Amino acid sequence: MQTLYLDYSKCIGCGTCESVCKFVHTHPRIIMTRTPDGWWVPLYCQHCQNPKCMKACTNKAIYRDPDTGAVLLKQELCAECPTKNCLMACPYVAMICTGARKAPITKCNLCLDRGGLGPACAPMCPCDALMLVDHEDLDKVKTPEAQKAYELVRQHIICPECPTS
Amino acid sequence: MDFTFLCSGKPEPNGRKVAIIGAGPSGLSATGYLACAGYKVEVYDKLPKPGGLMVFGIPGHRISPENIARGAEKLEKEFGVEFKLRTKICGSEPMHEETGDDMAYTYKSLGGRVEDNDAVLICTGTWKSRRMEVPGHELPGVYSGLEFLFPVRAASYEIANMDVPEIKGKKVVVIGAGFTAVDVVHAALTEGASRVSLVYRRSREEAPCGSMEFNMLEKQGAVCMEHSAPLEIVGTDRVEGVRFAPCVMSEPDEAGKCRLTVQKEESFVMEADIVVTAVGEMGTPPFAHDLGLDNVRKGDVKWLQMTSLDSVFVAGDVLMGPSKIGKAVYSGLKAAKSLDEWLTLKDQGRLDEFQDEVIRREDLR
Repeated sequence: MQTLYLDYSKCIGCGTCESVCKFVHTHPRIIMTRTPDGWWVPLYCQHCQNPKCMKACTNKAIYRDPDTGAVLLKQELCAECPTKNCLMACPYVAMICTGARKAPITKCNLCLDRGGLGPACAPMCPCDALMLVDHEDLDKVKTPEAQKAYELVRQHIICPECPTS
Repeated sequence: MDFTFLCSGKPEPNGRKVAIIGAGPSGLSATGYLACAGYKVEVYDKLPKPGGLMVFGIPGHRISPENIARGAEKLEKEFGVEFKLRTKICGSEPMHEETGDDMAYTYKSLGGRVEDNDAVLICTGTWKSRRMEVPGHELPGVYSGLEFLFPVRAASYEIANMDVPEIKGKKVVVIGAGFTAVDVVHAALTEGASRVSLVYRRSREEAPCGSMEFNMLEKQGAVCMEHSAPLEIVGTDRVEGVRFAPCVMSEPDEAGKCRLTVQKEESFVMEADIVVTAVGEMGTPPFAHDLGLDNVRKGDVKWLQMTSLDSVFVAGDVLMGPSKIGKAVYSGLKAAKSLDEWLTLKDQGRLDEFQDEVIRREDLR
């Protein structure tokens, strides 16, 4: 049960993760955004234990990979529906509408298609802020500063009612 | 930073050799790509350590220099990349005087690199600071953002003939509101300046670095002054102060445009021992003219990111102007891929087939 974890207190908003993701996958799945007070932060899929996107998809195109626990999108099952409920459901703004006519929706798959090399973004982070961790180990890597920075991001972008972990 | 994120280990050599000029984010990313593709890569840099501005410009509390050093070490030890540091590559044009040039021991020609290698990639970044054209900008004690930050950062590595500004107990005025200005303020505070002021001609909401950085600097003890434009730097044989005038945004005119008006009659002088103008950087590539960089920017070239010299490619800030690390990384990776494709097709004698291939607008982004 792995997920990507970003320590927002270490992140300087350089956009390397987004660029690397764009280079590997053409349409980036980790997206830079800017808070109203000018803070650049990436938003990304947290591969939730209880994914809202999965519930929102009526076609069951979003599923959990039994081996890694990653939340994945089965492109063939995606009905490319006009409502795009998965986009609205995700509290982390991590379902991506690419604007392409074919396969308009994409999401982070922890680079499972890279033949065991793991996520491309994490090793390239200049600040060592991005990492691949087990859900169970999340509490060990979360520092008080990271949690504080995360709360700040949440205030601006991610809905305040959403669970913090 | 693990630049070899595209492969799990050193591949079989493919017999090709490339020279990369500049070991910053774009150069190192390209190095990682090409090393993973089996190239023999040599990387030139004028500085004593790889990393470029990630190590010598951006403060250590933002990017840990060890993280960059680890990435470079992996390239060197595991992938056989040769780093030729303290080596500056020059063209036929007169030498530019850029920040950090005095750290190079050896000078080599671009022509020699082109002859010795299958291809060359130029990632030399933006090392020349833009000057603020106000009277008195040539007075001693006036620095550009890079001139100020670079020696402070470089001093921690080695320090022969390094002209490190004396900051302790001085009054520092920083002009600008980008991330360079923020880093200058931070460095000045850490080095023990008695008073650090950040002056910007617009409001903090409009600042490129964002209002959050302003608020944080104020918490750390800096004085932030908005809506003030510099008129002149005053002083007889060195800086004594800066004359500022309040700046007001006018009501929108017929075209809906708001203009910034400087109220010269209300000008005032702010005392200063050191003035840092952090108003942007420019690229100074070797052979700038011969390379036809403007055409590369527009995509008016034979091959994506290839200059008008055959087999010479270009990537990063030197091509696009100063930007974020992420943009440089993407540009480096893209140029490396383009270079690899070009050499592969050339070896197969198939370049002609792609001669009429149009470079799309989205390829340039």
